Order: sequence, then C-alpha cells, then structure tokens
Amino acid sequence: MLLHTQGHEVIEAADGELAWRLVEQGQISFVVSDWMMPNLAGVDLCRRIRAAEFENYVYVILCTSKGAKADLIEGMDAGADDFVVKPISPEELRVKVRAGGRVLSLQQGLSEKNRELGRINAQLHSAHTLVEEDLKAAAWMQQRLLPLLTQQAHGVRCAWRLQPCGYIAGDIFNLFPLDESEVGFYLLDVSGHGVPAAMMSVTLSVLLTPDATHGSPLKRYDASTGRSLVLSPDEVVRELNRRFQSKDDRYFTILYGVFDIRSSRLRFAQAGHPCPILIRDGQEPVILGEGGMPVGLWPEIEFDCFEVSVRPHDRILLYSDGVTECVSRSGDAFGEERLLRYLWEQQPMPLEELLTGLFTEVTAWHGNSDFADDISLLAIEITDEGLHCESTEQMATKQQEYKRRKMDAI
Amino acid sequence: MRFEESRIKNALVVKVLESRIVADVAPQFKEGLVTYVRDGNKNIVLDLSDVTFIDSSGLGALIGSLKAVRKDGELVLCGARDAVVNMLKLTRMDKVFQIFSTPEEAASALS
Repeated sequence: MLLHTQGHEVIEAADGELAWRLVEQGQISFVVSDWMMPNLAGVDLCRRIRAAEFENYVYVILCTSKGAKADLIEGMDAGADDFVVKPISPEELRVKVRAGGRVLSLQQGLSEKNRELGRINAQLHSAHTLVEEDLKAAAWMQQRLLPLLTQQAHGVRCAWRLQPCGYIAGDIFNLFPLDESEVGFYLLDVSGHGVPAAMMSVTLSVLLTPDATHGSPLKRYDASTGRSLVLSPDEVVRELNRRFQSKDDRYFTILYGVFDIRSSRLRFAQAGHPCPILIRDGQEPVILGEGGMPVGLWPEIEFDCFEVSVRPHDRILLYSDGVTECVSRSGDAFGEERLLRYLWEQQPMPLEELLTGLFTEVTAWHGNSDFADDISLLAIEITDEGLHCESTEQMATKQQEYKRRKMDAI
Repeated sequence: MRFEESRIKNALVVKVLESRIVADVAPQFKEGLVTYVRDGNKNIVLDLSDVTFIDSSGLGALIGSLKAVRKDGELVLCGARDAVVNMLKLTRMDKVFQIFSTPEEAASALS
C-alpha cells in the first residue's frame, strides 16, 4: 500500500519460491523481501538473484526482525543492498526505496551508455578492419611494382629488401632494361609516411618505366630517327623535378642510375638521397657521389651526374636513410660507418645473403623490425656478362680519372 | 614544439628546444615559425644547437618555413650540429640556407 502510493507497481508473492519465479522472468527491478519465509528464505532468494546475473540490476532490501550484526553481514554477503528492521517504519521504507530507485536509475543510465559504447566500438572495429584490408590490398599492389627477386638485364642483376614502417612504404625502387645495352635502376624515398607518401611512391614507380608510349621521363622520342633515346640520369631527375613541384612541403629523394654494358660505365644522378656505395672484391667499400637537392622543392634547379667504371662482381648498394638513421634502444643511429664496416667485413658473401645479413644486422641494432621509417636496400651486381672487352689497364686509367675528378670536386 | 625566443639587434633568435625535428612535430614546428613571421618578425635566426636529428618531414617543414619567411624577410640557421650539417650538405640545403656558428654571427649578418 505504502509503495503503491509512491508510484511503484507492486507484485506480491506469498513465499520465497513464488517470489523467485516472478523475479526469474526478468521483469522485476526491485525486491523487498522478508528474511524469514517458507520454502525459500529471503537471504537465499537474494543469493539466487545475484547468481542469475540479470541484464538489469535487481535492487534487494531485506526485512529482518533481529537487526543482528551477523545477519547483516550474511545478508550483505548474499548481495542485499539494504535492510529494514521490523517493525517497519513507513518513513524509513519510503526513503530506502527512493534511495534504491536512484541507484537503479543511475545503473540503467550506465547500461544504456555501455550499450551505446558497445555499438560505437563495433562500428569503429568494422571501420578499422576496412581500412586495414584496404592497406593490405595497397601493400600487395605496391609489392607487385617491385623488381623480381632474381631480376637481371644486360650484365646486371639485383637483390633487394623492403621493410615498410607501416603496411605501405614511401620508399620504392626498380631495375629495368632501357634499350638493348643500357639498364636503368633507381631507389626513391618520399618524405613523410603513410598513405600520402605511399601514393606518391606508387605514382612515381608507375611513371618510371622505360615504356616510351606513355611519355616516359626516362627517354626522349626523336622524330627524325623514330627512336627513343635514353636520357642521362641528370636529365631524368631534372624532368621529374619539373613535373613534381609540390605545394605542401612534400618532396622525394632519388638515386637514379644507368649502366651501359658497352662501356661498363655507371652514371648516377643523386637528388637528396644517401650516397651509393661501391663494393669491390678485396677493397674497402667506397662512398660515391656528393649529394644533391631533393626533387620537388624548387622548379629551376640543376642536377649533377657522376659516373664510375665498373667490372664484373662489382656491387653497388643503394639504400634509404631509414637504414642509417635506424636507432638502437639507447638512441644511437646505425650510421654510415657501421654500414661500411659491415659491407667490408661481409663482402665475400653472395649478394642475397649480404643483404639479408645487413637487414638482420639493422633489425638487431633496432631491437625489432618495428621501424620508425621504411628500410629499403637495393644492391646491383655486375655479372660476367657485363665484362666488356675493355682491358684492365683502360679500366684502371678510368678509375684514376674518376678519382681525380672526385678529388677536384672536393 | 617548444621554442625559446630572444632578440639580438633587429633579429629574433628562435631556439628549438627539442632534440628531434621529426614527422610528429614537423607541422607545429612550421606553424610556430610562420606565426613569428605573421607577427611581423622579418629577420629570424633559428638556433639548432639542441637539435640532434632532422628527418625528411622535418626538413620539409624547415624548407616550407624558409619559403614562407622569404616572401618578406630572411631565415638563417645557427648552431647546427655535425649530424644536421651533414644532412643539410647531402641535400645541398647548405646552398639554400645561410648557416652560422653562433646566434650573434647570424644576427650580425642579418642586420
């Protein structure tokens, strides 16, 4: 009667067992129960309610005639929320039911919020899965743009490693025949990370093919002869710089090389990219090149070209700054010196093993393969096919010339 | 991105108080420098003596800042450590930026 007047719908049960049957249906949110009841005591009813773990909380007040401390402890242990001592004071029951009501309404608000969070979480999860799937697909497409693991052409073969810092990389490289005697190869690194850098690297990779029908920047069509001429590396980079002027601060660094099997010469253009390293049997590895501005920052800049004579078994390593800038746990960079030392000590190794070993070395230096920047390695080896009729003497003269020019440049 | 400002002659000396100018701070770095220009500072000396490393995004932000400043002023560098100088040389940015050893020398060159 008292509770009716407070606006609650009251359902009465004659004993504990009957009360449990009502509560079991899941519609009851508030139980005021006598402690002593036939069939099922109030404290046991309370235990069953807690054990059932209903979706909505059921608030339980136990009425006891004793008010003994031991009973209160047992009741609370069974999961009772509150107690009233008989004889029941209507005022006390009223405030205790009201307090219970507040708890229930808070609890209800909380479950609604939880349900809402659950819904949002599921949405986020599915959105994340979608993005992840897209990135995996993009990574797969990017991988397909890379050279074959055993790619070779005109006296040059290559080995490579690419470890993107996310799913997709801003680094990319390739090697391809340009005509019947020349091979082009490059390694480039787009500034920044993530999707924008990767989209740019993929665009560049698609553009940098010798297929002249698509206006390749690597060749120039000569209408008088009807032939496409291979452009020198500096001309290629200048053309790329003309085409890729960016309005944000994005740019890329590139090392583009052309090997000519007729002359056993390698020509390079270096735009902001780490210097290539020449590895020759029995000699200390040599750093080639003097640097150069990156591509995309200023429209009217010139790029240099430098060249080196090579002989069979010579190797050239191109790499991205992710290798040398990779830091150890204590924050020290892997650095150029360590790279050179590795190449010097391990140079007798076959090309693939040399790169695998280097990658292992860098990973060990970092502590794991979760790098902060893309790691890319492209090694070129001159094969026996690349042996030209040039005599050793001629080669030596050319080498000296090259060294002298290098010294002059310094 | 934290900067410390001081004034030498008519130049604003901005010291970078971070050791690494990398991708996650590059936008704030540029925004900070552009704000100095917007506030009417035409001659800016960027003191890099605390900076040990600049990555590609950091370099992009540095160049973007230079382009913004040069519309109406000048940005020069000072105190760059070896690792930073090597990176600037590799990318030939030593031809684009004036690089000095101390803020005083840099400020004198600007006055």
